[in-house]
Amino acid sequence: MQCYISAGPMSLAEWFQWLEQTPFSTAIAESIWLFPILEGSHILALPLSVGMIVIFDLHLLGLALTGSRAATVMKEMLRWSKFGFAVMFITGGLLLMCHAGRAYGNTFFRFKMIFLLVLGINAAVYQVVFFPKMPQWSAGRVPAGAKFCAVLSLIVWIGVIVCGRTMAYQF
Amino acid sequence: MPIIVFIRDSQYGMPIAQSVHLVGLTMLLATVLVVNLRLAGVALKDSSLDWLVQQLRPWMIGGLVVAVLSGALIFIGTPAKYLASNPFRVKMATLALAMLFQYFTLRRFAAPDSPPRSRAVSLVVAALSLTLWFTVGWAGRAIAFIP
Repeated sequence: MQCYISAGPMSLAEWFQWLEQTPFSTAIAESIWLFPILEGSHILALPLSVGMIVIFDLHLLGLALTGSRAATVMKEMLRWSKFGFAVMFITGGLLLMCHAGRAYGNTFFRFKMIFLLVLGINAAVYQVVFFPKMPQWSAGRVPAGAKFCAVLSLIVWIGVIVCGRTMAYQF
Repeated sequence: MPIIVFIRDSQYGMPIAQSVHLVGLTMLLATVLVVNLRLAGVALKDSSLDWLVQQLRPWMIGGLVVAVLSGALIFIGTPAKYLASNPFRVKMATLALAMLFQYFTLRRFAAPDSPPRSRAVSLVVAALSLTLWFTVGWAGRAIAFIP
């Protein structure tokens, strides 16, 4: 690993700068077909990743698949969203490498990362607090706390999409 | 119309319009995915296809309306750019095909009294449907890269 500043460990900003300039990153960024394919895959994995979560959120709020059991809907939707999120993290990671130095100080990139962290915490809270009790819920009876998680998820996912799309205009 | 000028000329007009387009796309294609995965027999097997379509139709049509309206507003700002774009033409053609194909296959297969269908036919129809819809998406993304 090549370091620009030999004294002391790299700061996060320096590390992002370094990441953007690795031969691997520049090769992707300069490829006339690989970069568009990564970007297209990142966007078109939205329905399979975020979209499945959105359908589950709408179900918790009583707005979709009403009459089904929440535990069944969650199992089915998460099964598919795993593939979508795998594509998201791989393509997103590679795209970030190409723009790391510019992304580091970008406000929309920072908000996107904060929003993803909030969504991760939200999902973890749901998993610990509500998931174990789901088999006991009768169809259509969802506690208010779980509905709160669903509303938070819907709003913050829209924020992720807006920030992700907007940051691409600033590079 | 001021909104068209805002989208075309202001710093955040295009990113906002594109973001709305993506939210509509996510909603539309997520419901399209679920319905076609069910048709292919690989998801939500406990639910019938006609019930699933009936439940998801408002979100499918809602997503389509949001995507088409935001797309129209983006288009009207610089129509010459899009009319001269090959990927845009492919996008409009496949969009029309995808909507027609989805409408008629669902009318055929997702009616409460629809006859039993073979697994092979279901698989082919679902795969064709998803291919058409995602071609619309790829053609849309290609507008930025291919003349």
